[in-house]
Amino acid sequence: MPDKMKRPDVKLVLLGDMNVGKTSLLHRYMERKFKETVSTVGGAFFLKQWGPYNISIWDTAGREQFHGLGSMYCRGAAAVILTYDVTNWQSLAELEERFLSLTDTANHDCIYAIVGNKADLTDPKAHLSRTSDGQPEDQTECEEERTEPQVLSACPTPPASPASLSGVMLHKQVTHEDAVALYGRILRYKGLDEKSSLPAEKVCFETSAKTGYNVDALFETMFDLVLPSILRKRHENQESPTVDLEDSQGAHSRKARIGCC
Amino acid sequence: MERANHQEGEAQGVRICDPPSESNPPADTLATSLSLLGNHMFPDPVERLGSTTVSRDDPANSSDVTAEEPSVDAEPPSNQLMKLETEDTETSESQPVVSAQPADRGTEDAAADNDQNDSGEFVVAMLAKAKLEEQGIGVKGRSSPLLEAGTQESPTFTSHRDEDVTADSWRQHRKHVFVLSEAGKPIYSRYGSEEALSSTMGVMMALVSFVQSSDNIIRSVYSEEHTVVFLQKGPLVLVCVSSSRQSEQQLRGELMYVYYQIISMLTQASISRIFEHKKNYDLRRLLAGSEKILDGLLNLVDSDPSFLLAAVHCLPLASSLRDSLSQILQKAITPNLVFSILIAKNQLLTIVQEKTVIEDTRLEPADVHLLLNLIGASSAFQAGEIWTPICLPLFNPDCYFYAYISYLDPPDCTVCLLLLSTDKEAFYAVAECKRKIEEAMETQNSLSLIAKAQSYSVSQVGVSDLRHFMYKPFDVPDNYRQLTQFTSPEMEAPYGSEEEKMRLLDLYRYMHSRIHSTSRPLKLIYHVAERETLLAWVTSKFELYTCFSPLVTKACAITAITKLLRWIKKEEDRLFIRYPPKYSTTPNPSKSSRGGKSDQQDSTDNGFLSLL
Repeated sequence: MPDKMKRPDVKLVLLGDMNVGKTSLLHRYMERKFKETVSTVGGAFFLKQWGPYNISIWDTAGREQFHGLGSMYCRGAAAVILTYDVTNWQSLAELEERFLSLTDTANHDCIYAIVGNKADLTDPKAHLSRTSDGQPEDQTECEEERTEPQVLSACPTPPASPASLSGVMLHKQVTHEDAVALYGRILRYKGLDEKSSLPAEKVCFETSAKTGYNVDALFETMFDLVLPSILRKRHENQESPTVDLEDSQGAHSRKARIGCC
Repeated sequence: MERANHQEGEAQGVRICDPPSESNPPADTLATSLSLLGNHMFPDPVERLGSTTVSRDDPANSSDVTAEEPSVDAEPPSNQLMKLETEDTETSESQPVVSAQPADRGTEDAAADNDQNDSGEFVVAMLAKAKLEEQGIGVKGRSSPLLEAGTQESPTFTSHRDEDVTADSWRQHRKHVFVLSEAGKPIYSRYGSEEALSSTMGVMMALVSFVQSSDNIIRSVYSEEHTVVFLQKGPLVLVCVSSSRQSEQQLRGELMYVYYQIISMLTQASISRIFEHKKNYDLRRLLAGSEKILDGLLNLVDSDPSFLLAAVHCLPLASSLRDSLSQILQKAITPNLVFSILIAKNQLLTIVQEKTVIEDTRLEPADVHLLLNLIGASSAFQAGEIWTPICLPLFNPDCYFYAYISYLDPPDCTVCLLLLSTDKEAFYAVAECKRKIEEAMETQNSLSLIAKAQSYSVSQVGVSDLRHFMYKPFDVPDNYRQLTQFTSPEMEAPYGSEEEKMRLLDLYRYMHSRIHSTSRPLKLIYHVAERETLLAWVTSKFELYTCFSPLVTKACAITAITKLLRWIKKEEDRLFIRYPPKYSTTPNPSKSSRGGKSDQQDSTDNGFLSLL
């Protein structure tokens, strides 16, 4: 018998423009490998066992087609991972323009992480997998495929001129500082005090789903960060169960069962 | 689909010209059909030149276009010029026949001649307009040409997107499909990037507009090797350039599938709304990422006869097993659930429908095909549970259902559960239904039983000389309208290889086009081809296509068909979903998907308004 519906304790959402690698990141973390993925339709729901807790992860589609669904996926989220592509300035800009407003439905104490994926394209150190069980053949494979000259990576591209993209080498368009600055703006947008919130260095990551660089660190940090929120939620639930979205959904289906059987 | 074809057929009657070999009166008997057909596999397309040429590409005009192009826009490299020429030669070399829906032939010809000088200018104007739009007027930074070039370098863009559209190999593709907006903006191309093809698409739009300006609708262009079919649906123009020798109706039917697939992602209402607000909107913004779904659809259309027959293929299954699976689905319900579909190896196992919804309207095979294609195209990450809006265009083109898609047998991922709800927020409730289904299937050991199910071999029929068949019954045992199905054995030797499969399908397509010819529909065709003999037969009860070894005699074939029909009758319960089960989730009437208030909300709520 498969276990009864494991009730998710907490919700984590991946947001970001299409092609930044949200599905690949999650796939790298869950399945320990990098695979060509197709564009996600709608959103995909995953359940991750983390210690005694069940963490639900929503991998959302970055396409504009599904934009309207974003706020639904974000409802009641305890953590949102805003993902961009380090080789694409626009993907960072889109986070602010298009995705930040979707998080209005997230919890008031939601944790935000800013993740620059595809770091292997710009950063030699991202070629060394930092996963605990990084497969050696994975690395060699990516060395072959993605050994671009790194000449230009020292000077960050000014946001206004994406012209250099036409060259063969992909160079870093978004620096870590850009991401940190965005984090500051997000806190201001949410009306949160920078001092009482998590420091930027804790929640701004550069990752590579291709090599596995920093991927485990990202997800595990996030899981640890949402634990207090789980405990608080459990505590709150004992007093007023109506606050919880998942629980009210559960009530919904219980009602259904009474109705039909 | 059938309905659409029918209407078009009536209109089309005007331009029909029978090739000489078909000039005899219709025949229902085997003997006459045989004598008519002879050994010609395909009618020679040149024969069609007999029909009136409504508009002809004038070489003088085309040189105008190429000459003017650089002054309009100096920036693009020379391949733009090459493309225009390509387009010209493609259509002009063999004196193409443009068939339209003329009200009056005689005046039409004159009008076309008078307009020819204008048309060159018109084409240039069209192209100039397209160029201006491309150069960033009203284009957001993200879709600027430079950035687009950047994204294309990323490894996710492989396949046909970065194909060189000036290469011969590009022109050699058997079937091209293009989608553009009425403003001539490229939306989709099956091969090559839309940007590189923007001037080609501009020429297509110019053709459409030119014929439109004299109150006509362009339907097709025939050249020696290609058939170009146009389909206008609302603000979208779909064009197919095919060398597959399929009939115009079949190609138009395929374009309809492409249109429906786009509708299934965006809904008809929002597409019209978008283009009402902004004529030159770049729809690729909304379809970005969906190219694979359209690519997948077109590959399926070419390789899966379900599309040709407009019927669904279900996996043969002992009726007791199918019934028990249906019962499992019937028990796992939640409010607003409307369809529960179980799929194995991309074929239907069973489909359970909401009672009141299905009384209202029926589920069309085309909608099921789109669902199956969506599942196939989104299966990359199979461990998760997908929740996505999807529109079933033949059910209701203007509203969304919410589809829950999950595989029941990871990591194999061959058995897929699809649950459709009208409630956007019902994910957790619907996921709970899956849990129940999973449990019940576990106790009944259903998965291992399903794993044993497979399509059948034609040898099981026990008729020698019969190599393959497709049988689509119309007589359904149930008294209410049912999903159209067909049954067909595996394609085995000598049709094992991809090329041979395609060849057999092409033969079937040819038989189908003869049977369903709008000018002269047939009931029975006995066709002796080079390497096999085919017999197609349509009655009020069924449509049947059979393929025999080449040495079969007519008498033999008829006996064989009698035996085959008897076998199908005997196996009916296993081959088809006989009594589609239903359940009642008593949906709140206002939530019903048929034009309720909530639907209006759903479609407007999907982010489109924010784009305008």
